[in-house]
Amino acid sequence: MALWKRHFEESGVTEPDHSSQYIIAHLLGAKTIESLNQEKLTEFLSHDKAQQLWDLCTRRLSRMPVQYVIGEWDFRDLTLKMRPPVFIPRPETEELVELVLADLQLRQETGVRAEAQHICLEVGCGSGAISLSLLKSLPRLRAIALDQSQDAVDLTRENALSLGLQDRLQIHHIDVIKGADTVVSLYDSISTLVSNPPYLFLEDMTSLEPEILRFEDHAALDGGKDGLTVIRQILTLAPKLLSNHGRVYLEVDPRHPPVIQQWVEEHVEELLYVETRHDITDRPRFCILQKGK
Amino acid sequence: MLVHRWIRLCTVCKRLISNNRGGIGWRTSTGHDSLQYVTEVLRGNTASRRYCHGDVGDLYKNESVQRYLRQLMEEYGDLTKKLQLACLSDLERKDMNQKLVKLLPVADVFQSITNALKDLEEVLSLLHSTVGTRDEDEQMTQLLKEEETQISQRIVALKEDLIKALLPSDPLDSSNILLEVVSGRTTGGDICQQFTREMFDMYQGFASYKNWDFEVFNYTHAEYGGLHHAAVRIAGEKVYRHLKHEGGTHRVQRIPEVGLSSRMQRIHTGTMTVIVLPQPVELDVSIDPKDLRIDTFRSKGPGGQSVNTTDSAVRVVHLPTGTTVECQQSRSQLQNRDTAMGMLRARLYQSMMGKETEQRHTARKQQVGTRSQSERIRTYNFSQDRVTDHRTGYVTRDIKEFMRGGEALDDLISSVLEHGEREALLELVEQQQPETP
Repeated sequence: MALWKRHFEESGVTEPDHSSQYIIAHLLGAKTIESLNQEKLTEFLSHDKAQQLWDLCTRRLSRMPVQYVIGEWDFRDLTLKMRPPVFIPRPETEELVELVLADLQLRQETGVRAEAQHICLEVGCGSGAISLSLLKSLPRLRAIALDQSQDAVDLTRENALSLGLQDRLQIHHIDVIKGADTVVSLYDSISTLVSNPPYLFLEDMTSLEPEILRFEDHAALDGGKDGLTVIRQILTLAPKLLSNHGRVYLEVDPRHPPVIQQWVEEHVEELLYVETRHDITDRPRFCILQKGK
Repeated sequence: MLVHRWIRLCTVCKRLISNNRGGIGWRTSTGHDSLQYVTEVLRGNTASRRYCHGDVGDLYKNESVQRYLRQLMEEYGDLTKKLQLACLSDLERKDMNQKLVKLLPVADVFQSITNALKDLEEVLSLLHSTVGTRDEDEQMTQLLKEEETQISQRIVALKEDLIKALLPSDPLDSSNILLEVVSGRTTGGDICQQFTREMFDMYQGFASYKNWDFEVFNYTHAEYGGLHHAAVRIAGEKVYRHLKHEGGTHRVQRIPEVGLSSRMQRIHTGTMTVIVLPQPVELDVSIDPKDLRIDTFRSKGPGGQSVNTTDSAVRVVHLPTGTTVECQQSRSQLQNRDTAMGMLRARLYQSMMGKETEQRHTARKQQVGTRSQSERIRTYNFSQDRVTDHRTGYVTRDIKEFMRGGEALDDLISSVLEHGEREALLELVEQQQPETP
C-alpha cells in the first residue's frame, strides 16, 4: 500500500493514499481498508492477485478515477457498478435523493393522492443512482429514467438488474432537447421530476481535473455558457409532463437558484418556484419547483 | 434439597398470609408477592452467588445501613397508615401509592427476615426446652436442628436480597454502548498502539463470549501494525452494565518481543484509554442544525459536478460544546454523516448524563477512588503474568487467557460491579436520605 501510494504521489495522482487503500481493499474483497482484519492485511498476495493489483494501479496512474478502476462505488445504501464514460455520482446527489424522499413521504401523508401510485421521472440518469435509490427506499414507487447516452442507459439497466429493481424501472435512450416531442407524447402524469443535469459553466470545463476531463462524459457536465442549457429545457417541459401539484427537484450550481427563480417566473407560467435547499457544505444546491396554476 | 426448602417456605408463608401482620388491604398481596419473591430468591441462589456471606453480613450489620433500613420501614409504615385515612385527595393518594410501591420490595424482604427470625427463635426455644429432659425425642431434636439450619440459611439469602433491593439501580444498565479505544502517547516505540490493538481484540472476544453485536465504526491503524484508535457499537443484553467500569486508563507493562521497543529488552510501560458511552434506545438529545459545522472534502473548493473524489470522510462539530466526531467508515458520504450524527448524539447524551452524576458524587466516593480519566484503573503486567484492578485490588493470573476476553474478564468485571454497588449503597445510606426514586 505504501509503495503504490508513493508511486501515485510521484506521478501527481490526486488523493494517493485513498487511491491505494480503496484499490487494495477492493482486491481483497472489501469496501474499505478499515473493515479488513489484521490477518488479511498481512497475507501475501497470490501471483494472480499481485498481477491484478499491478493492472489496477497502473490504470490509476493514468489518472483514471478510482471508481472506474475498481468498477464500483457506493451511493447511499447501494453499491453501483461504474464504467467510463458514464458519470460518477457525486456526494451532493445523495442529499438530493434524501430531499426527494423526505418530501415524498410528507406528500404521501398529507396529499390527496396518498393512495395513488407515484411515478418518478429522472432526466440524465447516468449510472442510475437517483432512480435506483428512490426505488429501493419506496417499494411502491415506479420510475422512468432517461439519458441521451447509450452507455448510461446500458449501465443503468445493468445496475437495475443487479439490484433486482428492474421491474419498477423503465429506461429510455432519449435526449430531452432533441427528442422533446417524444418525451412529451409519452408521459403526462408524472408526480415527481428529478434531475442532476449537466450544470457546469462552459468556462469551468477547462479547469477540471484530468480524472474528469479524460474519462467522464463531457455531455454529462457541460451546461453551456451559463450552465443552464439543459435545466431550461427540463423546466420548459416540466408542466407538460407533470400532473397537477407535481414537483421538480434539481441539483444545480450554487450560482443558479436566484437565476432560475427569475427565469421561471418570466418564462414558465405553470411552474412555481417553491424553495432552495442547501447541501452539507451549506451551499445553495437544490431547487424545488411545483406545477400549479 | 431444593424441594425440601420450598416446602418449608410454604409453611412459613402460609402463616404470613393467615396472620394479621402488615397493613390491612396489603396482607394477601404482600404474602403472594413475598412467595414469588422468595421463590426467585431460591432460584437465584442455585445460580451464582454474588455476594459472599462475609460481605453481606458486613453490609447488613453496618450501622448506616441499619439506620437507613429503619427509616425506610418507618416511611413504609407511615404511608400504609396514611393511606387508610379517607380524607386524602386523589393526587395525594396517587403520590403515596407510588412511593409505597417503590418501597414494597424492601418491605417484603424485611418482613420475611423478621418472620424468619421469629421462626428461628421458636425453633431454638423448642430445642432448648426439650434437650436434656426426659421427654427428649431424638428424632424431634434432629428435625428441629435441621429446621434451624434451614431457617438460618434462608435468613442469609434474604439479607442478600434486602441489600439488592436497597441498591440504587442504574437506569442505563440495559443500554447498548459506544466503545472507544484510544492509544496513549509514547516517546518512542509502539508499545501503546500494540496494546490498544490487543485491548480491542479482548473486547471483541468478550462481546462474542456474551453473544453481543459488535459493529465497528472506526478503525484507524497505526504504523507497524498497532491500533491508533477505534470505535465500535456493542449491542445486546445489559451491555452498559457490564462495561461501564471499563472506562478509564489501562496500563501495560511488558518487555516487548516485536516492534521498535524490543531492542532494549527492558520493561516498558504504556497506556491506552477506554471510553464507554451508553446509547439508550431513546435518545432525547435534540440537536439544532444551526449548532453544527460539518466538514467534508467538498467543503474546500467548488464541490458539485466539478470535483470527483473518493474522500467521503465527514467531521461534525457541535459548536456550543465543541464536541467533534469524525467518521470515514463508508464509501458513501451520506452514510458517514449519519453515523457521525449518531455518535455525536451519544456523546452529547453522555455529557448531559455525566453532569448529573457528577453532581451526585460525595466525598466518600472520591476517597475510595473513582478514578478520573487520567488515573489508571487497571495494570496489565505481561512480564509478571498478572492483571491488577486498582479499584478493588483484584488480581488475576494467566494474562494470555484474560486477553481473550472470556470468563476471566467476566469474573473481574463482576467483582468490580459488586464493589461499585457496595460503594453506591454505602454512599446512599450515609446521605441519610431515603432515595426518592
